Amino acid sequence: MDIIDLSTVERGEENYLGFIDQLCQKLELDYASYATTSPISGAVQGYANYPDAWKMHYMRRNLQRIDPTIHTAALSIAPVDWSRFERNEKFDAVFFAANDFGVCKQGITVPIRGPYGDRGMLSVTRDCSAEEWAMLKRKIMGDLQVAAVHLHDAVMQSDLISRVMRLPRMSAREKEVLQWSAAGKHQQDISDILMISPRTVEIHLRSAREKLGALTTAQAVGRAIGLGLIYPS
Amino acid sequence: MITIVDAINAAQHKHLLGEMFKLRARVFADRLGWAVNVQNGMESDMFDKLDPAYAISTNDDGEVVGCMRLLQTTGPHMLSDIFACLLDDEPAIRSSRVWEATRFCVDTTRLSGTGTRNSISYVTSEVMIGSFEYAMEAGITDAVAVIDPVMDRVMRRSGNAPSDYLGSPKPMGKVTALAVLMDCSPERINRLRDFAGIRHDVFDRQSQMAD
Repeated sequence: MDIIDLSTVERGEENYLGFIDQLCQKLELDYASYATTSPISGAVQGYANYPDAWKMHYMRRNLQRIDPTIHTAALSIAPVDWSRFERNEKFDAVFFAANDFGVCKQGITVPIRGPYGDRGMLSVTRDCSAEEWAMLKRKIMGDLQVAAVHLHDAVMQSDLISRVMRLPRMSAREKEVLQWSAAGKHQQDISDILMISPRTVEIHLRSAREKLGALTTAQAVGRAIGLGLIYPS
Repeated sequence: MITIVDAINAAQHKHLLGEMFKLRARVFADRLGWAVNVQNGMESDMFDKLDPAYAISTNDDGEVVGCMRLLQTTGPHMLSDIFACLLDDEPAIRSSRVWEATRFCVDTTRLSGTGTRNSISYVTSEVMIGSFEYAMEAGITDAVAVIDPVMDRVMRRSGNAPSDYLGSPKPMGKVTALAVLMDCSPERINRLRDFAGIRHDVFDRQSQMAD
C-alpha cells in the first residue's frame, strides 16, 4: 500500500492523521478513525479525519464513552460491520445526528489486538449503496487489516518503554526469508532454496514485515539490517 | 449448521457455549487425556477469557456436535504464549492476515463413522468450512492450528491437508500435538465441500446477527 510508513517517520498526531487521510484516498473511503482504550484508565485516545463539526459534537457529548463502534467492536476478532448495531440503542444515541454533519452510518470497525492485551479499533465509513459497500469491503478487507495493525503498533510504540518492550522477536525462518530477500531473491526463489511452498514464504515474509512495522519487504530488510537481525548482503 | 459466537453475541448463546465447553471436556479431557482444566463438566482455559470467536456446529436436534476456537495472532494466543515448544521455541508468526485455530473437536459418540449429516467427516468439514469462510470475509488468508496426528490424518483424507507444518510434533499428555498452516482460500473450501457434499450455506444467518 502506498501510504505513509509510520515506522520511518516521527511518531505523532500529524502523521497518524496523514496515514488516515491517505488510507481513505487509497481505499475509496469517506472517513476513517482510530481509537484505543487505555487498559488502565479506560480513557479513549483517538485520531480521525471526520469533519470538525462532527468531532466537536462527538467530543462535547463525550460520545466515546458509549460508542459501540469502539467498545463493542473491540470484543470481536473479525471486522464488525455497523449493520450489526442496527438495533443498538447506544449506536443510535451516538449516530442519530450524524447525517446532519455529513457522516453516514454505513461503516465497519476493524478490531486490533496487541501482545500485551492492548486493543485498538480502526473504523471506516463510505456513503454508497449497500451493493457497492459489500463489493468495496471484499476488495479492501485485506489492506484494511494490514493498515489497522500497522497504525495500532505505531501508536502503541509511541513511547520509549513500549518501543523497547515491543522489539521484534523474529523466528529463524523469518530471518532466513529476509536474508534471502536481502540477497535479491524473490518469493519463488526462496521457496526453492528453503524447500517450502511460496505461500509459506509469503506468510513468514508478511509476519516479518509486520513485526518490523514495515509495509514493504525492502523496508523490512533495511530495518532488519539496522537492528542487526540479518547481515547486509 | 454453524453458528459463529463471539464476545458480542455470547450472551444470546449461553446455552450453546455451555454445551460446547462440555463437548470439549468429553473430547480433550476424557477421550484424549490432555492436561486441561475441567470444572462442572466444562473445559476452558485462559484463552477462552480473551474474547475468541467460536465456530459451533449443531445437528438437527440442536445438539452441539463440533467446534473450533479462533483468535488473532497479533494478540495473545496459544502458539505465542504457551505452545512455543511446538515451534521448537521459535517466536510465533504474528500477522494481521493470520488467525489461530485451536480446540477443534467433533462429538464422536453422537456422530457415526459414515453416512451423511450425522457423520464425523460431515461435521468436521462443516466446522472447517464455517471457520474458513468466516476468516476469509475478515480478510484472513491463512490459519495456524494446533492439532494431533490423528486429526492430521483425518484432514489429509478429507481434502483438507495442512498447507505446511511448523516446528515439530511434541508429546502433550497422552497424545502428540503439532502446529500446522492452512490457507483460508476458495480452493480449500471447494475441496472440503466436494469431499463432504456440502453445497448449501453452512451458517445460521438468523442468530448470527442477533446481538
